[in-house]
Amino acid sequence: MGYLLGIMTLICCNIIVVIGLSLLTGFTGIFSFGHAAYMAIGAYSAAILTTKLGVPFVLALIVAVMIAALAGRLIGIPTLKLVGDYFAIAMLGLGETVRLLLDNGGKLTGGARGFGNIPGKTAFPIAFVIMVFSVIVMRNIIGSRYGRCFLAIREDELAAECCGIDTYGLKKTSLTISAAFGGLGGALFAHYITYIQPIMFDMAKSTEIAAAVVFGGLGSLSGSIIASIILIGIPEVLRPLYQWRLVFYGLLLVGTIVLRPQGLMGGREFTIQGLKNAAQWVQEKIPGRGKGEKR
Amino acid sequence: MIKFIQQLINGTSIGFVYALIAIGYSLIYSILSFSNFAHSTFIIAGAYTGFFLLTAVSLPLPFSLLGAIVGGILIAVFAEKVAYRPIRERGNPTLYFIIASMGMSIFGENIVIATIGPKFRSYPPILSVTAYQIGGISISVLDIMAAVVGSIFLLMLMYVVNKTRQGMAIRAAAFDLETVGLMGVNTNQLISLVFLVAGALAGLAGFFLGMKYTVFPQLGNLTMKAYVAAVFGGLGSLPGAVIGSVFLGIIETIIAGYFSSTLRDIFVFALLILVLLVRPSGLMGAKREDKV
Amino acid sequence: MSILKIEGLTKVFGGLTAVSNLNISIPQGRIYGLIGPNGAGKTTVFNMITGIYQPTRGIVEAEGKSLAGLKPNQIAQAGVARTFQNLRLFKKLTALENIIIAGQYNTKYNLVTAVLQNRAFKEEEKRLRQEALQLLDLVGLSEYAEYKASNLPYGHQRRLEIARALALKPKILLLDEPAAGMNPEESLALMGFIRDIKDKFGLTILLIEHHMEIVMGICEHIVVLNFGVEIAHGSPEEIQNNSEVITAYLGEVEKDDAAS
Repeated sequence: MGYLLGIMTLICCNIIVVIGLSLLTGFTGIFSFGHAAYMAIGAYSAAILTTKLGVPFVLALIVAVMIAALAGRLIGIPTLKLVGDYFAIAMLGLGETVRLLLDNGGKLTGGARGFGNIPGKTAFPIAFVIMVFSVIVMRNIIGSRYGRCFLAIREDELAAECCGIDTYGLKKTSLTISAAFGGLGGALFAHYITYIQPIMFDMAKSTEIAAAVVFGGLGSLSGSIIASIILIGIPEVLRPLYQWRLVFYGLLLVGTIVLRPQGLMGGREFTIQGLKNAAQWVQEKIPGRGKGEKR
Repeated sequence: MIKFIQQLINGTSIGFVYALIAIGYSLIYSILSFSNFAHSTFIIAGAYTGFFLLTAVSLPLPFSLLGAIVGGILIAVFAEKVAYRPIRERGNPTLYFIIASMGMSIFGENIVIATIGPKFRSYPPILSVTAYQIGGISISVLDIMAAVVGSIFLLMLMYVVNKTRQGMAIRAAAFDLETVGLMGVNTNQLISLVFLVAGALAGLAGFFLGMKYTVFPQLGNLTMKAYVAAVFGGLGSLPGAVIGSVFLGIIETIIAGYFSSTLRDIFVFALLILVLLVRPSGLMGAKREDKV
Repeated sequence: MSILKIEGLTKVFGGLTAVSNLNISIPQGRIYGLIGPNGAGKTTVFNMITGIYQPTRGIVEAEGKSLAGLKPNQIAQAGVARTFQNLRLFKKLTALENIIIAGQYNTKYNLVTAVLQNRAFKEEEKRLRQEALQLLDLVGLSEYAEYKASNLPYGHQRRLEIARALALKPKILLLDEPAAGMNPEESLALMGFIRDIKDKFGLTILLIEHHMEIVMGICEHIVVLNFGVEIAHGSPEEIQNNSEVITAYLGEVEKDDAAS
């Protein structure tokens, strides 16, 4: 039971990070392959605050989120002027840079050996409540004019600009929010696992986050959530196949984009009504059940 | 002074290898307008094919070199057919190309780790040990070969691009792929050709990198430097890619020689960021304005 | 008093002069046409007016205010809206969303209230939706409100793009080949539609078009470009009888050389 609860806590942390990247990639159309960097920033900031400075957990979470958001903002200022591929390269470089900085952080970060003795404050109920809260916040952002602006930028940046949208400013907003979510997920993660190392936030982690977003379906929040559960849950169960994990993620990225670019959810959202429709569809398909007649 | 000349020579030699990668990368960018991160996979394909032909099959050097090229070509053309073509035919945005190519690059690197293993493997020491000594400067046969074979391929490519019908189609496609298609050029064939060329050059580069250093799954990450060179020289400009590569190779070697190799890698990325910020279209690239 | 004033507008790409020393002055409430052979620089003019390109030289003034140095989104908010030659709708979004996006530039809520979904937020969202529905109704697309833009018939997509521009509540509307790809019947309907919206919204319109029946049918004044240079301007009748315009369109080699 404890083991299962642990995996579920981990999933909650990851959902928060994944929906953060979902906003940037799925809804704004900006691809980042270094998103674990924001997670690392959140994790280390919060860990240093609680462990070394004795700051209360909740306050540390808030500050960590703000630091990650600020990092996203500052990084966005030069990089978001670049076209998509350059931005992707820049984020790749960022991921490596943050990892290198943490590796060489001396006493502050514990270097490559890691940072331990973090208080285990992230119990499952806490992680779950914060996750649900984060999802609601994200849903509200997406449903507002900000969300519509992000979508417009994803669809056609120039047209968006000509519709009065400050695309550069809003891309920065998107990255800032996305980084904040990454930081929150990271901070929670650090206080669940109680021991963090730079290697936990490497390229493989970034890939995992990106794969969840793509597999869940670009532009679907519920898809991102379901994909996080599947992608984070499965490798935990299949530990022996660990070295095949990245092979699988790579294949999943290419496979989803080539075979089913709409992903798991196809840009739609998971709703109760949708569930009812699906149930009805299934009933209609099974002869002798339900209405039992073909449409 | 002798040390400096030595660095110059070493730098030029590695620059030629970068150029082989950068040219292919630049070609693909100019036609399809996206950064082919999967280029690293083409390089690994070449490096490992060459390695196994030399060691397990014990083929002579020239045949192994050819084999490496074929290895690069096969993976490149396969990647284009299986992944990029469906995306293109659906008319999906650039984002999809970036994601797919990134996925392929991760897949390529890790399938090698999972199957062949993460170890560094050395090419048999056929050429790398022999070196000519001229007045205190040593030039290895490998460097000469890299420069000569590399130059031959680059010159051949320049000839094809500038003088042949296919080359003209490629140049036109770089300007406007759709129109070229409307003019009756088979764009799928043309793009396959571009990937074939890019794959061949990447395979060759992989072979040289393997001989110069070792083969390992992360070898493809050197593509990053070729990106920097290509961007520095101006994406989409072939002479720019060559000049950018040689320049980068030289500067990099000099920094590593006089300072440290950590500083070298920092410099490469600092250069990239600087170029992107100051002149996003590169030094020699044409300034592109969005076609409306 | 002209509402849109272009003076000495010039754009040089590399060594190539795409538009040279162009002057256009459009009085309030008029429909002007900008015509010329392919590659004459018409769209470049639009791109300079809307801030996508920085002019090499020259000024653009809307309602007496210079647009120099403004970004495209600021120009759009300043009352100059446009459509695109090759339709640039937000394809995967619904017709309604396309309109709302353009209509929301002066929304009065911020990120925090958006997250909290307070009263002000809900009221603004309701207003945006209603305004967008009204606009869709006005252009005859209300039954398509929930359709994805890319699923609309082509002619309706053209209409939707114009409606999206109208959602910005512009004073000046730039239409880049609105009748491209339309058959004569649709073109005719479009002409009525353009006149209609001009009156309803009190617009001043500058349009690029290749369909001469449209240009001659609705434009009160026409400017002809060839190789970036104005070769004629005047009423439709004057343009139709202008020998230089006729040769430019028929493409006499000597004339082309002279004009460039």
